[in-house]
Amino acid sequence: MPGRRRRRSPGETDWPEREKSKKAKTSSSKRGMSINSAFNNKVCTSWFREYTTKDEKCLGPEGMEKFCEDIGVEPENVVMLALAWKLQAQNMGFFTHEEWMKGMIDLQCDCIPKLQNKLEYLKSLLNDSVTFKSIFRFAFDFAKEENQRSLDTETAKAMLTLLLGGQWPLHSSFSQFLDQHTRYKVMNKDQWCSVLEFSRSILPDLSNYDEDGAWPVMLDEFVEWLKEEQGQSHNKTS
Amino acid sequence: MPLSSANKRALSEENKGEPALTSKRSRTESKNRELDEPESCATMTEPQKKANFSALSGNGISRHASPLANAKPGAAKKLVIKNFKEKPQIPENFEEQTWLKLAEAVGAIQRSCAIRYSLEELYQAVENMCSYKMAAGLYQQLQSACMKHVRANLQQFLGDTYDHEQFLKMMSNCWQAHCRQMIMIRSIFLFLDRTYVLQTSSILSIWDMGLDLFRTHIISHRTVEARTVDGLLNLIERERAGETVNRQLLKNLLRMLTDLQIYQEAFEKKFLEATERLYSAEGQRLMQERDVPEYLAHVDKRLNEENERLLHYLDSSTKKPLISCVEKQLLEQHLAQILQKGLTQLLDENRIADLTLMNQLFSRVKDGLKELCTAFSSYIKNTGRLIVVNPSNDAEKDKDMVQNLLDFKDKLDNIIEVCFAQNPKFVNAMKEAFENFINQRQNKPAELIAKYVDSKLRAGNKEATEEELEKLLDKIMVLFRFIHGKDVFEAFYKKDLAKRLLVGKSASVDAEKSMLSKLKQECGGGFTSKLEGMFKDMELSKDIVLAFKQHQQYLDASQAIDLTVNILTMGYWPTYPPCEVLLPSEMVYLQEVFKKFYLGKHSGRKLQWQPTLGHCVLKAEFNSFGVRKELQVSLFQTLCLLLFNENNEYTYQEIKTATGIEDSELRRTLQSLACGKARVLHKTPKGKDVEDGDKFQFNDEFKHKLYRIKINQIQMKETQEENTSTTERVFHDRQYQVDAAIVRIMKMRKTLTHNLLISELYNQLKFPVKPADLKKRIESLIDREYMERDKDNPNTYHYVA
Repeated sequence: MPGRRRRRSPGETDWPEREKSKKAKTSSSKRGMSINSAFNNKVCTSWFREYTTKDEKCLGPEGMEKFCEDIGVEPENVVMLALAWKLQAQNMGFFTHEEWMKGMIDLQCDCIPKLQNKLEYLKSLLNDSVTFKSIFRFAFDFAKEENQRSLDTETAKAMLTLLLGGQWPLHSSFSQFLDQHTRYKVMNKDQWCSVLEFSRSILPDLSNYDEDGAWPVMLDEFVEWLKEEQGQSHNKTS
Repeated sequence: MPLSSANKRALSEENKGEPALTSKRSRTESKNRELDEPESCATMTEPQKKANFSALSGNGISRHASPLANAKPGAAKKLVIKNFKEKPQIPENFEEQTWLKLAEAVGAIQRSCAIRYSLEELYQAVENMCSYKMAAGLYQQLQSACMKHVRANLQQFLGDTYDHEQFLKMMSNCWQAHCRQMIMIRSIFLFLDRTYVLQTSSILSIWDMGLDLFRTHIISHRTVEARTVDGLLNLIERERAGETVNRQLLKNLLRMLTDLQIYQEAFEKKFLEATERLYSAEGQRLMQERDVPEYLAHVDKRLNEENERLLHYLDSSTKKPLISCVEKQLLEQHLAQILQKGLTQLLDENRIADLTLMNQLFSRVKDGLKELCTAFSSYIKNTGRLIVVNPSNDAEKDKDMVQNLLDFKDKLDNIIEVCFAQNPKFVNAMKEAFENFINQRQNKPAELIAKYVDSKLRAGNKEATEEELEKLLDKIMVLFRFIHGKDVFEAFYKKDLAKRLLVGKSASVDAEKSMLSKLKQECGGGFTSKLEGMFKDMELSKDIVLAFKQHQQYLDASQAIDLTVNILTMGYWPTYPPCEVLLPSEMVYLQEVFKKFYLGKHSGRKLQWQPTLGHCVLKAEFNSFGVRKELQVSLFQTLCLLLFNENNEYTYQEIKTATGIEDSELRRTLQSLACGKARVLHKTPKGKDVEDGDKFQFNDEFKHKLYRIKINQIQMKETQEENTSTTERVFHDRQYQVDAAIVRIMKMRKTLTHNLLISELYNQLKFPVKPADLKKRIESLIDREYMERDKDNPNTYHYVA
């Protein structure tokens, strides 16, 4: 874990206060900076400013790197995605000031240690299937280039690894499928969302897959391809 | 028996003489009494009359006659006349005497000799005996006399030396004699039959007694019955085997069995069993030996024979079981085999008579027509598939496909009409089968039908008169109706129609219009609107050109060139790839003049010239002979030829630069001018193909017997290419149709599951589509945000307004 530097806001790890401050969300900004742990708008803004150059309204890639380092999380960590979801960030690699403020108020964090304390909570969000679905859907818009309708396959593969890598047994097969079928240069939102549904409802042996179902053609083709692959490897082994 | 009362009875009857008559007449009397006198005259002949009557054994009369015993003495009051007459006595041994007399007569009848007494006397005797209450005894005595005689007859049938026929003859004779005798006896004993017997329910009438005696004593004897039935069956079997037998004998004996009421149990059952055995074996054997038409003819023959048999000697009650037995054994058992073995052959060879027979026979048995119909349908499917499917895409075979289909359809229509009596089941089966097989191969049949129509509508097709053409078009429409992908037809039809219209090659405007109206009727106005637009364009162009020729600038510019323009509305016509060529300046000028003229009338439009579709007539002078000719050529050919006004020789490259015609097009054009039938150019070196370095010279010595010569373009190899592009365009259009259908459905339903949407789509779309293609369109619409997938249920779509 990278070392923590720079200033810490007062009352970094005040456990009991946490609950209290959550309840007092709305009033906290008015109360101004409190010594212990209450959320402070100004502190929060200045924390944001640490990662931006002066006139920038946006926290950019460089700032992001530093931010990750500060809170001790690798940029590739899925927690960052949960955080971005919390902040409702529009673009990967960027946080705008509004996003920052809104999300941090929501989390009641105005300094690094507070946020570090929240990391576990953010991680836990990923275990809730409804929230995960919403994060998954968010990830598409988050990861795609602005003004683009679809996600290019490379990014999509990386995002899928991040999100489903641990939990979907067919994930690596699917990546392989995308590698081999180069005509799929992009994934649209429908395909993206369907992958999650597919990973959740279809058994790894594909036994409950219905080819007349509503799966996008990409997934139909994936199943066809996978069956062929499995058939081949089966033949080889036997 | 108390005599006194018998006496009284006899007296009163003697007095009246004709009591039977009186009672019988009582009804008429009441109606009109004046007839009284002549009626009493009739009395005299009455007994005779009565005897005659009874011989005919009219039973109804005896009913009326019976009440005579207790006739009311109402009338007698008036006629109290003959008093004081002595009571007549009957002789002491009256009963024995009379019976002896009667017994002798019966014996004589049974021996077939003359009877000593007159019949009237005998009848009277019977009547008297009955009157004196001796009826019961008389009946018994008569019965035993008959029984004795019948028993005596039995012996002759028990000997074992006879063959069947002889035996049957004997039986028949015996029976007939018996009947004759019994009739005679009954006539004599009629009075007994009508009074005593009728009033006593426990005994049989004399005739029935005779039958009963014959039945119990002769026929029911086991040997006799067996011999008789065997004999009969044997005789019938011989007849079935083709021998001529004594049908009269059969008829008599079977009638006998019916009369004796043992026809059913003694004969019919065995007969049906024998029939079943015979025909079951015959069916098995002949199915193996004979081919189907022969077999069917045989079955028909058998059925006729059996019907005849029924007519001639079998009892009519046997008809149903017998015929159904024959049908079952000869047909029903073999339906599948007959169809499998013979139907294809019969249909292939168009054997109308045999098929008619088959239909007739099959309609007799249960499920017969259904089976026939199914087999018929699968025959059509198989044969049709052979015509349609062409895995190697052999052009030769495809060329004849439509004609073959039309012939095939004609043949089947005829068969259905003549052989299957226009049975709607068969008509439907045929339609279904056609639809099935014709769509086994996608797109190609539609394309070929379109091309076939083109070949018929094109000028120079002089093989048919207007009516024949009209009829042919109707037939084609029938085929067209079966096609699923009608848009493919439209695309190809449109392309060909464009060619016909632009080159002016259409055989007849009427035929074109009629075809168009047929299509409109079949597929609706939407289908034909573009085709109609093409016709409209042609007409408008004519007017415009006419107006243009009055136009001042044209008059100035047109010293040498006569210009006709067809203005094609984009979208109505097939799309032609734009192409640029270098036109001679006169032409360019004229084009400009026209353009100005046209845009002056219709501002805001855009004119694009299509050099590929142009054609020209050139006046040419071949100097060495001083011959003038007119050459009918395409615009490209024109451009090449016009060059030779300047110079006598050009290289390929020079021509290419001068005309700007695209390479492969130019090669074909030059080929047509220098290597075709009418060679107006020379090529060096000689050869079929045009190479880069080739040189072309004007052929000064060109000769041709005609004045106006049409130089055909070398037919483009690109038909294949053109073909593919047409097909592709069709598929492209289909995508829009699918999209439109999806949006239409979703707009109406707002939310729909995948499967419902797909099935709705299949209902709406008139061409074949794969589910995967539909899915792609759905995804594309989701992507374009016309609809969205439900967040929680990926199988459900929502319409996005």
